[in-house]
Amino acid sequence: MNLNMNSMESLVAQIQGLSGSIADVNQLHSLLKQSEDLFHSELARLAPLLTELDPSIHSLGYLYILEACTSAPISKEQANELVLSVARFINLCAAEQIRLAPDKFISVCKRFKDQVMLLEDPMRGVAPMLTALRKLQLSSEHLTTLHPDFLLLCLLGKCYKTGLSILEDDIFEVDQPRDFFLYCYYGGMICIGQKKFSKALELLHNVVTAPMSILNSIAVEAYKKYILVSLIHLGQFSISFPKYTSSVAQRNLKNFSQPYLDLVNSYGTGKISELETCVLANNEKFEFDKNLGLVKQVVSSMYKRNIQRLTQTYLTLSLQDIANTVQLHSAKEAEMHVLQMIQDGEIYATINQKDGMVRFLEDPEQYKSCEMIERIDSSIQRIMMLSRKLTDMDELLSCDPLYLAKAGRERQRFDFDDFDTVPSKFTI
Amino acid sequence: MASSSSSGLTFKLHPLVIVNISDHYTRIKSQSLPPPTTPHTASASNGAAADSSSPPPPPPRVFGCVIGVQRGRTVEIFNSFELLYDPSTHSLDRAFLEKKQELYKKVFPNFYILGWYSTGSDAQESDMHIHRALMDINESPVYVLLNPSINPAQKDLPVTIYESELHVIDGIPQLIFVRSSYTIETVEAERISIDHVAHLKPSDGGSAATQLAAHLTGIHSAIKMLNSRIRVLHHYLLAMQKGDIPCENSLLRQVSSLLRRLPAIESEKFQDDFLMEYNDTLLISYLAMFTNCSSTMNELVDKFNTAYDRHSRRGGRSAFI
Repeated sequence: MNLNMNSMESLVAQIQGLSGSIADVNQLHSLLKQSEDLFHSELARLAPLLTELDPSIHSLGYLYILEACTSAPISKEQANELVLSVARFINLCAAEQIRLAPDKFISVCKRFKDQVMLLEDPMRGVAPMLTALRKLQLSSEHLTTLHPDFLLLCLLGKCYKTGLSILEDDIFEVDQPRDFFLYCYYGGMICIGQKKFSKALELLHNVVTAPMSILNSIAVEAYKKYILVSLIHLGQFSISFPKYTSSVAQRNLKNFSQPYLDLVNSYGTGKISELETCVLANNEKFEFDKNLGLVKQVVSSMYKRNIQRLTQTYLTLSLQDIANTVQLHSAKEAEMHVLQMIQDGEIYATINQKDGMVRFLEDPEQYKSCEMIERIDSSIQRIMMLSRKLTDMDELLSCDPLYLAKAGRERQRFDFDDFDTVPSKFTI
Repeated sequence: MASSSSSGLTFKLHPLVIVNISDHYTRIKSQSLPPPTTPHTASASNGAAADSSSPPPPPPRVFGCVIGVQRGRTVEIFNSFELLYDPSTHSLDRAFLEKKQELYKKVFPNFYILGWYSTGSDAQESDMHIHRALMDINESPVYVLLNPSINPAQKDLPVTIYESELHVIDGIPQLIFVRSSYTIETVEAERISIDHVAHLKPSDGGSAATQLAAHLTGIHSAIKMLNSRIRVLHHYLLAMQKGDIPCENSLLRQVSSLLRRLPAIESEKFQDDFLMEYNDTLLISYLAMFTNCSSTMNELVDKFNTAYDRHSRRGGRSAFI
């Protein structure tokens, strides 16, 4: 026992000594990897050691000890303390050091998240999780395993805006496919919460069409929400999958979402009454999937869709006529709907309250303003960056031996314009 | 040999003369001739190549006459023509000169022979000989010298105008060359043609892409020059404001009059039209970027499918044209 005590002390001393330069830290890292069993055997004594170390300088050592501490089962009283200490560590730690041991850091953060959820206070975990995420990321285009956990905390704590800030970043690198699925699914839900339906549609579309070898439940749930959001935002839903969807998804997803497909059919008729009967029929299923809120939004979007269809036929219409065509109860309700739509920018109209007439107008955007110039300019910049990335990927793929082998095999024996003997396959 | 002229004459040089001299020199140089002593020949030789065994001959000097108008104290040099140089007598071919003079008189009755030109880096002693010979046609001829060596660092034109003056050196009155300043004067037609000549590129400028690129490069360099000049002015005004440089009111007046000339057009309609056209151009570039991106993406997807897709088509891929 004494021996172990001494070795722990010496280890702590080494952590304190070797946290200076990068070479030292690498050496420390290998040392710590060897001493892992020591940590796990001395769990009881680890907590006081933490006080001797400074998380901002000795981040790597602190991380190892903390990880060993959290691996033991924690009681409810200790949970609060643990949450506080982990949050403090995350805020203070040095990013370069923890990137040397990413899996340890991830497991610490995951346990942190579990504790926070146990304490039923997910909002406490949002800010530390965000910091942890940013420190673990290699660049803003990197999707880590912490992303879906963070989004989950945002969803549970109802801090949608913070979640949105992460969703703005474009993703180019993914660590694990499962992270990607969860990230897009939770991200879609956050966007729905913030009523940003186009982004939600994009994210859910990514989940549904992502390559998968076997069906997973994330995709099934995402497909259901995808149908609903598509109805709300676009007013229609096409049953056929795009060509790049995996065959697994194409074959199986529809089997799990029959009530939703019925909803699509009744939406297509354009009659509120049919839609409502369909909703009532499948009420329990919608409630079971926790999609009832979305379904209600689908119903209200039906009114919007019908009013929008009216703009294509009529130039002026009275509020009473609108109410009748769209099957609303009164002209007052019609006025409220139209007003809301004008505010949201979904139609362009003026309401004349004296005689209750609505005049539908054209889109007043003339594309002559400086703001439009800035918008187009920023879009051009984005697309230039994307084009650069694509060219890089293209070049990378051209050097891929797998590609070269197959390309060489398919090449014609004689080239078109020169008749030298061309090798028909590349031997690499 | 060259100090400032004190004759008080103002010289105006037309760019046609400069282009003529340069053209003459280039033609003769490209028809480069077997060395011995003849510096040049004005007749059209049959493109005899230089003798490769001897060291490359020094670039030949070309000679000719400049003609123009002298009104009072202003000497305006309009045109020039080539002349033969006779190395044996170190003088220009007189008979030819007179014949040419007659011919030019018929077309341009106002033009007189004002002097002569040559190429080289500096005026030489032998030039004085030629200069004196011309003095009987024009009592004070001008000597236009073009320096054919290309110096990219040099900002000014490599053309110098010399006059002859009688100076007393070591007690002996001698004619020496003195430098005069000159300005460039153009007629509109001249400006257009010179502009056109200046933009001729040695490569084929036929395809639309290179023409567009050349046009845009020209605009870009013009804007860059404008920008640097405005920056100089701005810097100067700031220094004046801070007090580092004493206030110079005449300059300030000039700057303020310049600024009052801008903006040239200021109206609602112009703003609208301008922004609309600007937006249209931006949209077109956006569309072009989109197409570019889609084409790259298509190639990438083709490659990816070839490499990784198990269900790819056998026997030839369809190319994206």
